[in-house]
Amino acid sequence: MNSPLQVALLGRPNTGKSSLFNRLTNTHAHIGNFPGVTVDVLTGEARLPSGECCQIHDLPGIYRLDPGPGGSADERVTIDFLRERVATGAPLVLVHVLDATQLVLHLRLTREILDQLPGQRLLLVVTQRDALERAGGFLDGEALAAAVRLPVRVVSHQDPDLISVVLEAIPKTPPTKPTPWTPEDAARAALRPPEHAASPQERSERIDRVLLHPILGPLLFVLILGATFAAVFLIADPASSFFNVLLGRLVSILRPRLGEGLLAALLLEGVLGGVGTVLAFVPQIVVLMGLLEVLEASGYLARAAFLIDRFFRVVGLSGKAFVPLLTAHACAVPAISATRVLRDPKERLATILVLPLMSCSARLPTYTLLVSAFFGGTTVHKAAVSTGLYLVGILGGLVAASVMRRTMARGKGLPLLLEMPTYKAPSWRQIQVRCGREARDFTRRAGTVILAASVLLWVLLKLPVSDDPSGQTPVIERSAAAMVGKALEPISKPIGFDWRINVGLIGAFGARELMVSTLGVIFGVENAEEEPAPLADKLREAKTSQGTPAYSTATAAALLAFFVFACQCISTLSTVYRETRSWPLTGFVFLYTYALAYLAAFLAYHGVRLFTA
Amino acid sequence: MSLLELPLDVDAVIEQVHAQDDEGPLLRAMGLLEGQPVRVLRRAPLGGPLQVRVGDACFAVGRSLASLVQVQVVEAR
Repeated sequence: MNSPLQVALLGRPNTGKSSLFNRLTNTHAHIGNFPGVTVDVLTGEARLPSGECCQIHDLPGIYRLDPGPGGSADERVTIDFLRERVATGAPLVLVHVLDATQLVLHLRLTREILDQLPGQRLLLVVTQRDALERAGGFLDGEALAAAVRLPVRVVSHQDPDLISVVLEAIPKTPPTKPTPWTPEDAARAALRPPEHAASPQERSERIDRVLLHPILGPLLFVLILGATFAAVFLIADPASSFFNVLLGRLVSILRPRLGEGLLAALLLEGVLGGVGTVLAFVPQIVVLMGLLEVLEASGYLARAAFLIDRFFRVVGLSGKAFVPLLTAHACAVPAISATRVLRDPKERLATILVLPLMSCSARLPTYTLLVSAFFGGTTVHKAAVSTGLYLVGILGGLVAASVMRRTMARGKGLPLLLEMPTYKAPSWRQIQVRCGREARDFTRRAGTVILAASVLLWVLLKLPVSDDPSGQTPVIERSAAAMVGKALEPISKPIGFDWRINVGLIGAFGARELMVSTLGVIFGVENAEEEPAPLADKLREAKTSQGTPAYSTATAAALLAFFVFACQCISTLSTVYRETRSWPLTGFVFLYTYALAYLAAFLAYHGVRLFTA
Repeated sequence: MSLLELPLDVDAVIEQVHAQDDEGPLLRAMGLLEGQPVRVLRRAPLGGPLQVRVGDACFAVGRSLASLVQVQVVEAR
């Protein structure tokens, strides 16, 4: 059988290749308004009008086809892909995606493609027709096609017939014979430029006068980030509390109906206590993703990189490193891949090593639970504590980066060079897609990994492994899970953790959300006879075997500090390995983050005790 | 003069990009190449990068890179 036709989308960064890819293949590749969001080759399938199936590849954006030894890792991905495909002689069509509002700039890459990859089938898809026309400009696709002797389609991403227009235009033959044309001449023949004052460029410059103002700019930057992190708590806290009340009701209704059987206990304590508790945190993860999506899609991140560059230089990073550091607040895994846009390999290494210190969304349930339970005061006060945790992670990361740039990743650093895209209004649909996907992923994890772990934990909590001659100690204190947790108490006592937290931390190593579900199960089993109450209340009222309060604000502060720093995530560690190809470096990430976490927890525990004593 | 010395909001043309290792070719590929109209929009404080408009595009350029780009001021007509 013949291999399917290969279609490669290429072009400068941030020109809408991924949007086009999503439309053509009906998928949801991530899109941002920042150069270098696509760092891997994404592959999807589409059917040509002839009925033939083709494979479409979305390549990371490039500025040139010959990057030399100093090229960035994402440039390499595209160029290696193209070289490999051309060398095998597989049927390949290049679709060069251009931006109508920067035509000359983009046609220079077309020129390079024709010169460096002669004899390849090539189609030009010029996007942003709507933006050009809104500004009073016009691009004549036929005139451009005549000037460059290539098939050309001028489109806008809103076009309902975008898919068929592009797929029908895929050429069957390579361009006949190379023709000399210059980007300037070709643009002159086909383009009526927009009126200057209305151009997207001019509009962005007006916005920049405010957002990049020497005093106002940095203030707004701090405000925007602070508000983003605070909003996660402020919006999500009431939503989570409401969910917890619902959960309590459900348990009260179900308990008398289900009776006393073992299965009923498993359902109420294991499943509802574990999975239910975690699900209460879906709203805040959705809120965080929505806000990050708005920041990414608007084009503000490139401005943030510009503002922060000078400050990041102090710790040996460039403004470009800001983007992976910010996106790591959603999840460290894609953020580690996003470091490929950094040109300096040493800077990239330092960034990868500190990314796990950023407070990812999986830490949120633990943050919210502990802050709600132990940090009294108004909601604003609690939101401030929650935002402070983000700040501690960021500062810790910057200090760690600074140390690494002076030791294991030592180097002078390369100056900033970054294209600043024009501002775009974030698309509501795109935000919905991102939030919907996060909610689904999180719920799926709750229904699989967390469900399985909760059930397993419930069994281990019900399984007595030692005899109790006195008959006084409850079963749970003699359970297999408690034995493991208690075995760790000599190490965890100095930072205030008891066996229950230790069991949670073991669970959290596989997935951080398991901390909360584990506590949910433990207290569900312990307080099975009592009225159902939110987990936060149960934590506050928890007692040691001597009857004294088990947890204080100091314990909560220590656990929070531990959570900020520890890289309790197998996916992150495996991604660090994938990007660095080094077991020692991967092991180093695990060890240094746990060491930092233990130290921070120790300081937090004893610091808070000093203040509250 | 170099792009670093070009006063704010003054129209100029890029005369020469002094290639250094990989950065000269990269600057040219991104669009900062000879003959292009250029204008410095702002300088980030405390020695931070420059925001420059080149043709239809806008870039953040570190100062050490900006000093490698030679520009010629366009006389106002």
